[in-house]
Amino acid sequence: MRLQIIRVVIIILFIVILGDLFYVQIFKGNLYYRLSTNNRIRVVPLEGWRGRIKDRNGMVLADNTISYDVVVTPQDIADFDQVFQYISDVLGKNKEKLIKRYRQRKSAPFAPVAVAENIPRAKAIIIEENKYRFPSMMIQKGFKRLYPYGKDSAHVLGFVGKVNLSDRERFQEYGYSPLHVVGKLGAEEYYNSFLKGSEGGIQVEVNSRGQQVRLLSYKAPQKGQDISLTIDVKLQQLLTSLLDSRPGAIVIMDKANGEILGMVSSPAYDPNTRTTKDPRSPFLNRVIQGLYPPGSVFKILVAIAALDKEKITKHTTFICNGYHEVGNRHFRCTHVHGPQNMFEAIGHSCNVYFYRIGLILGADIIGQYAHLFGLGQVTHIDLPYEKSGYVPYRNRGILSRRKRWYAGDTLNYSIGQGDLLTTPLQLLHVMATVANEGRILQPHVLKSVMDHDVEDFNFSRELKISSEIFDAVKQGMRATVKEFSGTAHELHLSDIRVSGKTGTAQTSGNKEDHAWFVGYTSGRGRDIVFCVFLEHGGSSHNANLIAREMLIRMKTMKLL
Amino acid sequence: MEKNRTKRIWIFTSLIMAMGLLALYSASCQNVRVPQKVFWDQLAMAILGLVLMYVIGRIDYRRFYDIAYIFYGINILLLLIVLIGGRHALGARRWLQVGPLSFQPSELTKLSVILLLGRYYANRQSNLTFGFINRTQIIFRDILLPFMLTTILMFLIFKQPDLGTALLLFGIFLVICFAHGTAYRYFIGFIILCVSFIPIGWRFLKPYQKDRLLVFLNPNIDPLGAGYTIIQSKIAIGSGRLLGKGWLAGTQNQLNFLPERHTDFIFSVIGEEWGLIGTCFLVCLYFLLIHNGLKIALKIKDKFGVLVTVGIVSILTLQVVINIGMVIGLFPVVGLTLPLVSYGRSSFLVFIIMMGFLINLSKKRTVL
Repeated sequence: MRLQIIRVVIIILFIVILGDLFYVQIFKGNLYYRLSTNNRIRVVPLEGWRGRIKDRNGMVLADNTISYDVVVTPQDIADFDQVFQYISDVLGKNKEKLIKRYRQRKSAPFAPVAVAENIPRAKAIIIEENKYRFPSMMIQKGFKRLYPYGKDSAHVLGFVGKVNLSDRERFQEYGYSPLHVVGKLGAEEYYNSFLKGSEGGIQVEVNSRGQQVRLLSYKAPQKGQDISLTIDVKLQQLLTSLLDSRPGAIVIMDKANGEILGMVSSPAYDPNTRTTKDPRSPFLNRVIQGLYPPGSVFKILVAIAALDKEKITKHTTFICNGYHEVGNRHFRCTHVHGPQNMFEAIGHSCNVYFYRIGLILGADIIGQYAHLFGLGQVTHIDLPYEKSGYVPYRNRGILSRRKRWYAGDTLNYSIGQGDLLTTPLQLLHVMATVANEGRILQPHVLKSVMDHDVEDFNFSRELKISSEIFDAVKQGMRATVKEFSGTAHELHLSDIRVSGKTGTAQTSGNKEDHAWFVGYTSGRGRDIVFCVFLEHGGSSHNANLIAREMLIRMKTMKLL
Repeated sequence: MEKNRTKRIWIFTSLIMAMGLLALYSASCQNVRVPQKVFWDQLAMAILGLVLMYVIGRIDYRRFYDIAYIFYGINILLLLIVLIGGRHALGARRWLQVGPLSFQPSELTKLSVILLLGRYYANRQSNLTFGFINRTQIIFRDILLPFMLTTILMFLIFKQPDLGTALLLFGIFLVICFAHGTAYRYFIGFIILCVSFIPIGWRFLKPYQKDRLLVFLNPNIDPLGAGYTIIQSKIAIGSGRLLGKGWLAGTQNQLNFLPERHTDFIFSVIGEEWGLIGTCFLVCLYFLLIHNGLKIALKIKDKFGVLVTVGIVSILTLQVVINIGMVIGLFPVVGLTLPLVSYGRSSFLVFIIMMGFLINLSKKRTVL
């Protein structure tokens, strides 16, 4: 009897064991099988070469060269100290630093760790010849990005670097590890997905200590796609030399299709080294990130608003006696212009005329038109970190800054001063829209990918504003250049028909004013829209001179 | 019939040993963490073991009845010597070194406790025959005295420390005590008393033993430390699925992910390489062997023989169930070997002797 009970208990115990084996091996079997596979297989990524960046004529702006890196394979190290002592002796580098770098980058016993990158060829040969003494050490050929034109196109191109900590999470979603090279700033960042090579890798089987047991498979990395930009390297060189590292920016766009032909921000950095001690924000791309008051350039929009709202006609005349009085404050004009109609007012950049129509329009309508022409918003140019600027509203001023809006604020607003902030690209964009009589283009820098032209940017939309209004404003802008009394008569050239608007934007503090010239050419050849901006460059006259030099040189270089 | 039983025990024992040798060869063939010597050692032990089984099978088992108490005494002595001057390994004092050979007296206790309890209870007649006898005397004679005798061994083993074997002895005691025919009310009362002592016993455990028990409750507490073994062995067994990865082709095994895979965790090698088919086959072999043992026990009329058989059967069952249970994460890791399969001379030898007893007992038809 008792033996029968014992027997039953034994049978139950065995059933439990068999049942659990069935559960672990059949129900959970696939899960554990995957886990066992993960246990033993490691993947070592191999990076593909990055695509090149060319200019519109096929000149290479960003290329790859071979760099010689010293790598050490952890599982083959026989005498840790000796290996690093030897490497530090050959390279003349601090041994502790090499060891520290090794410790930081070490990932798996079989994965070579780069301890010194881009060493001179001669030293690479020495190390390679002494490999037999230290089997763990070898020379690996990596790639290094090379920018043959240095700082000329630095801001358009950007540069490459390892994924840094702050970007890590963002890039992790795309499968990047901290050791990957990604584009940073400029086209290198914006078009990283085209440029980066598709990653290859080796798959190895490892044992419980992570040592390689055998190679399972190898996938060759693929080279990334080459892209061509719309910029012209000769023009970039010209613009760089014109600015001569004075802070400022020049941007030139094809009037017909929105292609950016030249874009230079100064001061610039050298993307090859990226070491600069310039205190004037060399990494800032002033064309898309610099925020400045537009000054008198903004008057174009005020004029269009007044004409479109039918508050005035193009023949409406106001008399300028040198100032306009609101309350007991005098708002000054540059000269005593006397009676001014629209063409004269734009040509002379008469403040009083615009104070008057500004007061008629009111701040809200001015803001509305600023928005209509794209101020206060990004232009969606294909470069990263573009700034949107700031268009003030009466309510916005009250709400955000707890500041009341006075009539004087409207006056400042109508001549492009006050809280209004724009980027040079935005003003260029406004000018292009006016020059194209309401047709809004998409500014862009990408021309083709692997020699296939990109057509994504070939769209435009029309503003519902009568072409007569644009005609009137364009006449005024032509007068700016053509009339002897115009503010940009320096640009009156015999063989180029230039129109535009100057701006001298006051800045806070005792610094010099910002100098603007935004304009366009019209004629037989390629028409361009351009914006010359000098940060604290004084009077707009300085911008005019640079624009003049630029146009003449472009003509001789047959770029126009 | 008896011939048949004897033959079956021979067959099942040899099949289990053969499976163990195959698994051991696979575990040691890389000669990395587990030296190849382990396999040859075990092979030699197996051949020797078969001879020993044959020899023991021919000895009249009453000789063992005679030496039961002496054996018990010698065992206590050996355990004391181990505690004083035994060889350290893996943080425990378990081995006794005699010249080039070393063995674990704690394994011998499995034998001695069976013989001891077998002889003790065989001498105890049914309570009714005594007529007037008070309850305390029954409890003392049926439970407390044999329990104290077992406890001496348990305590000495626990001191080594070897919690697994100590608890195993307690299990054997319970089974034999039950088989003897102790009244249910006393037996159950005793078990309840023991359970209520568990919280007190917890305080006497070494930190690593507590760790193991805690890790058993949740292996993810310490996946790289104490939990590593359980997790890796579960992965190994599970990844074998139905058909296994093939002999010598288990990745967990061959790539050294399994610690202790030649001793306590040999079952995970079988599970990984031979799948559910292999594990079921082995478990069934054990079951058939045990079942045969029980059948023998039913046939024997001599109480000493019955109790010894029950003791052997229970020790086999407990070790098989606990070992497999701990390898698949059903029980805590207590360090019990898989009978006749795990590498380990002392353990192997003890089970060989037990199988010899079974063969011996299967032949006898003693009528008292």
